[in-house]
Amino acid sequence: MLHRLVRAVSLAVSLGLVAAGLAPLAAHGPTPQRAEETITIAASPDQVWKLVADFGSIGEWNPLVTKVALTGGSAAGAERVLTLAKGEITEGLDEVDAPAHRVSYRLLKENTEAIPVSFYTATIEVTPAGAGSAVRWDARFYRADTTNEPPEELNDAAAIAAMTDFIRQGLEGLKAKATAK
Amino acid sequence: MTRRARRPAGWPRAATLALIAALLLPAASVQAGPQAGPVVAVVSQQAGVVTLIDADAAAVLAEIAVPRVPAGIAASPDGRTLYVTHPDPGLVSRIDVAGRRLEASFRVGREPFGIAVIEEGRALLVTDWAGDALIRVDATTGRETGRATTGRSPAGIVVDAAGHAYVADRESQQVSVIDIAAMTRTATIATGRAPFALALSPDDERLYVANVQSGDLSVIATATRVETARVKVGLMPYGVAAMPDGRAILVANQQGGNVAILDAASNSVIARTRLGDYPEGIVALDSRRAAMASWAGDAVEILDIAGARGTDHIAVGAGPRGLVVLSAPGGDRPGFEVVRP
Repeated sequence: MLHRLVRAVSLAVSLGLVAAGLAPLAAHGPTPQRAEETITIAASPDQVWKLVADFGSIGEWNPLVTKVALTGGSAAGAERVLTLAKGEITEGLDEVDAPAHRVSYRLLKENTEAIPVSFYTATIEVTPAGAGSAVRWDARFYRADTTNEPPEELNDAAAIAAMTDFIRQGLEGLKAKATAK
Repeated sequence: MTRRARRPAGWPRAATLALIAALLLPAASVQAGPQAGPVVAVVSQQAGVVTLIDADAAAVLAEIAVPRVPAGIAASPDGRTLYVTHPDPGLVSRIDVAGRRLEASFRVGREPFGIAVIEEGRALLVTDWAGDALIRVDATTGRETGRATTGRSPAGIVVDAAGHAYVADRESQQVSVIDIAAMTRTATIATGRAPFALALSPDDERLYVANVQSGDLSVIATATRVETARVKVGLMPYGVAAMPDGRAILVANQQGGNVAILDAASNSVIARTRLGDYPEGIVALDSRRAAMASWAGDAVEILDIAGARGTDHIAVGAGPRGLVVLSAPGGDRPGFEVVRP
């Protein structure tokens, strides 16, 4: 079963002046957003953790990732370049907590064409659930255009939709991979 | 054990007693007495509210609606007025604490973010994230009365007793030192990557800067304006607090989901405890306890420092980020007369 928990701020269109457009697009705007999804998988936590802990394996189970170039293995400090439908992004591995079955990573090089966010951190955690596992994938991020009046394709709603989709498809793919006969 | 205090349907017991006391006593003596604990004001960004919390009772005293996406918060020295920034709509709001109401919102800069109250509450200093400036504002009228250049994306701000403002220039990897009287930048001090939150030691001699991207804490000697230490603290440190007795420093590691407790004498991490869900702002309640905003947990967590553990969990509106302790000169807490409906 897939739970969705997306924090959506009020998306009311504000009536203020059009932003002067001088703020750097790359800045991490002050209004963070979050997407969090959990999936249960009929496979042992150890089996699922093997996939999650292998930082370069995401291309094998997230259908939105067509190619992965990994440097530094699966230890903190490792980097992976993910090829998505509309371009590449680079992620860095921050922490691997093997006893807790938890990895934390972040976006190092944004590409708002590929995914409309300017920055994120994310954590994937595998816990026992009944005879199988529960996997929680959680991301905190900023919209692609952090100025006051972002265009629709670069606003908070676009960022939430894209991150939620990436996580949801990733979890479904992880489930399929972990339970494949 | 963690006591879970949720926003009650009825009055919390302490508030009920206070209400009864208030009804029995003449109005002049309704002010909070020595039994009242510290009051914390926390700003919830997604919910668009400021929540007042009695930290001892672990109870919500009031929730005040403000304009959308509030971020930073500061209190006047007498604890009677709160100021809140709203980066997206470019506003600063003023809240009357006793009246539990929004008094005014005024436009300040382009994306007002960090805020401090100066001149006994007559003026404000506001960092402008998109304007790369520190702006001085008349607290009554909201009129801009001064402006100093900072680095890129100024975030947190602290002010010392000698009239300096220290601003964390997040995208410039530095702290700007501003002479408040002249509203002029007099120095910059290099830090780790993406400095965000700051705290001063009680004697103003050391400045602590949480560097979000490099996951460390810069320790700066304010007299010489030199970084004397840089300490690894955890993943994405977004909040820092110096304890009033000068012995401990607390850092909220947002991505790490924990609080690091540092010994101020040795600048070393002596404990790290998992607390909150994406913790951000953190403030000292006294030298034994701190309050911390749990951004994704929609709560304020109370931390017992000696035990390195959470003791109370108080639910607040969605997305709490910044928080401040209301205090008055001489350590008195300001008027928390009664909780009004």
